[in-house]
Amino acid sequence: MGQSLIWYLKEFSRLEWIHKFLFAKTAPLVTPSYSRGFPEPTGKACQHALFCMMACPAPGAIEVVHAGDGWIPRIHKGHCIRCGLCVEACPNGVLKSGRILETMERDGTSLLFSFRISIDPDLCTGCGNCATACPVNKQIDAQLGAGGHFSNDEVIMRVLDGDVRVLHEEKCTGCKTCETSCPTRAIQIARILEGIQQPSQGSGP
Amino acid sequence: MKRTVDVNIPLGPIHPCFKEPVRLKCEAKGERIIGAELELGYMKKGIERIMKGRPWQEVMFLAERVCGICSVIHNMVFIEAMEQISGISVPPRAAYLRVIANELDRMQSHLIANFSYCYTIEHETLGMYLLDLREQVMDELERLTGARVTCAYMIPGGVRCDISREDAEHLLSAVDRMEQDLRRYAGMFSDGPMIALRSRGIGILTQEAAQRAHAVGPTARASGIALDCRLNHPTYRKLGFVPVSRPDCDNFARIMVRFDEVAQSISIIRKCLQDLPTGIIRGGGVCKEGETRYSGEAPRGELTYFIRSDEYGRIADIQIQTPSIMNIEACCHEMIIGVDSVADVTSTFISADPCVACTER
Amino acid sequence: MTILQRIKNKVRARSIHVAYVDVGSCNGCDIEVLACLAPRYDIEQYGIYVHNNPREADVLLVIGAYTPGWEEKLAMVWEKIPDPKVAVAIGNCPISGCLFNRRESFVDAPVKKHIPIAAEVPGCPPRPTEILQAILSVRDSVFANWEEHHP
Repeated sequence: MGQSLIWYLKEFSRLEWIHKFLFAKTAPLVTPSYSRGFPEPTGKACQHALFCMMACPAPGAIEVVHAGDGWIPRIHKGHCIRCGLCVEACPNGVLKSGRILETMERDGTSLLFSFRISIDPDLCTGCGNCATACPVNKQIDAQLGAGGHFSNDEVIMRVLDGDVRVLHEEKCTGCKTCETSCPTRAIQIARILEGIQQPSQGSGP
Repeated sequence: MKRTVDVNIPLGPIHPCFKEPVRLKCEAKGERIIGAELELGYMKKGIERIMKGRPWQEVMFLAERVCGICSVIHNMVFIEAMEQISGISVPPRAAYLRVIANELDRMQSHLIANFSYCYTIEHETLGMYLLDLREQVMDELERLTGARVTCAYMIPGGVRCDISREDAEHLLSAVDRMEQDLRRYAGMFSDGPMIALRSRGIGILTQEAAQRAHAVGPTARASGIALDCRLNHPTYRKLGFVPVSRPDCDNFARIMVRFDEVAQSISIIRKCLQDLPTGIIRGGGVCKEGETRYSGEAPRGELTYFIRSDEYGRIADIQIQTPSIMNIEACCHEMIIGVDSVADVTSTFISADPCVACTER
Repeated sequence: MTILQRIKNKVRARSIHVAYVDVGSCNGCDIEVLACLAPRYDIEQYGIYVHNNPREADVLLVIGAYTPGWEEKLAMVWEKIPDPKVAVAIGNCPISGCLFNRRESFVDAPVKKHIPIAAEVPGCPPRPTEILQAILSVRDSVFANWEEHHP
């Protein structure tokens, strides 16, 4: 009994405890600047490259919509997980969140995308839905018709001899419209992401 | 001999001490517990099914959200498994930064486990002290990675952002303050007579029982089994890591092992900051095809990912073995049997640090 | 408004009992709610007491994406809470399912289909400052004139 009394007296007469008792306040409700918040537009013009939509892991979180004459990405707060991949993936720096843009500039880091098309020959029926639905195909070949008539061979894929052949894989933008239009789920797009660093002047502090 | 059961006591899904819904049905004879049955299934989301066929940039976030308390280690084990499949090597500075993030996460997980235990013993004061210490750790984690929980800090080939000189000095001084506070709180826990009355000699898990139930992590290390997956990790071996363990196998030993591990994490972070090499933080690298099994040391024990990937680095097959699967089994079948009072059932269960979200992803 | 009603409104806004239900989350939002209880972002100073008893609660915090294990049980818990009552969804999971809102998962988002939700705090997980700001902005209006709105 006597020992615990002495312990309590020693505890409550520490200078730190007295200072906290008289002057401590609870922390103000501010979010620090280095915390990753919901991405916000910086004011730069969006070029409709759509890399933010390709990188986003959460379904239905980001979409690029019309804003006057141009485009702007719009974030749905109930879906966005604040990961910051869209901020890093954008080649024009249209979005900002926390300190991501500053660290990208200081370290020279960026994300590199590449897209690969793979068609399962056992499942493919040669219907040509994918080639007709692809928006890049429509841009290349203005005469693209519902029957799959192609006027040139610059398109990404087309039906040749009853099979869909991939001609220019490098032009694919990874939108996966072909995947949603395929009736047998034969075509699959792989979005390959690589995190790289090209330090411009020195590296690290 | 027929076993007579007087009453079945259900500790239901909604309970003041359990943070997650789990149903524990204890069979009691008088006040002595002679059997326990666990009913899970309130948190099954099917994460492994969602992961199939997706590339690493989506699976990484799903893997983090298997458990929000130990999210950094899930991220680290998944990314290191993908790097082992694809043969990607990590630059040394990134490896040390990964260790710093991992140890900060381990500290906050152990502090919240000890807070749960103190709250269950009704020692709210000490619990609130530990939560206050945990807030300092979360501050440092936010400064390093940008988010408090589910940081998404590691990617194949390195980490996402670097630590600046001011932040590194801030971390070094904050860690000193944390060590001072931790020594005070651990002393308060180990010297308190009421805490000793409720923790010493309760919930015994002998070494043979721990091996029989395959217990891992601090639960096993408090029974004298000094196994730790960090011994197999090259960066930790370079830092000279030695696991801590205690020979007495009760609740008290489990909580003290966690306090010791927090002190050990502080010294590891200090060593990392002093030896931090310069260089790049991302080495690049694309995920390829292959199959592997990779283990890491989560705050609760050994975490294993069995991954098979297809030719573009998408996941073809994945299975996650979390430490809480083994620990909850050890708890319900070995520790709770023979506990002398119903009030000790909750404290024994919480001292094994169950993470039900990990158990049923 | 009579003086009695004014006193009732003031008292109800200043003393709120909270129970939380975890319908299948990853525990991230759960520990951010616990961080609100910590001495740093003290939520008890506003008169909000977080225990875990639905029978004595005014506000039910729903955390997590609705899993099949809670099929009718969440509605049963909601009925057990006496009037006046309000449900608040914390995190992205009860609003939209967060990352688990895919075809292959067992999750049945959103929780709004099962019990009536009055306020939402988005984020995965939301910071304790954001949770506190949401609660403080809502507490004056949520129970005001309850008898007139719900006869």
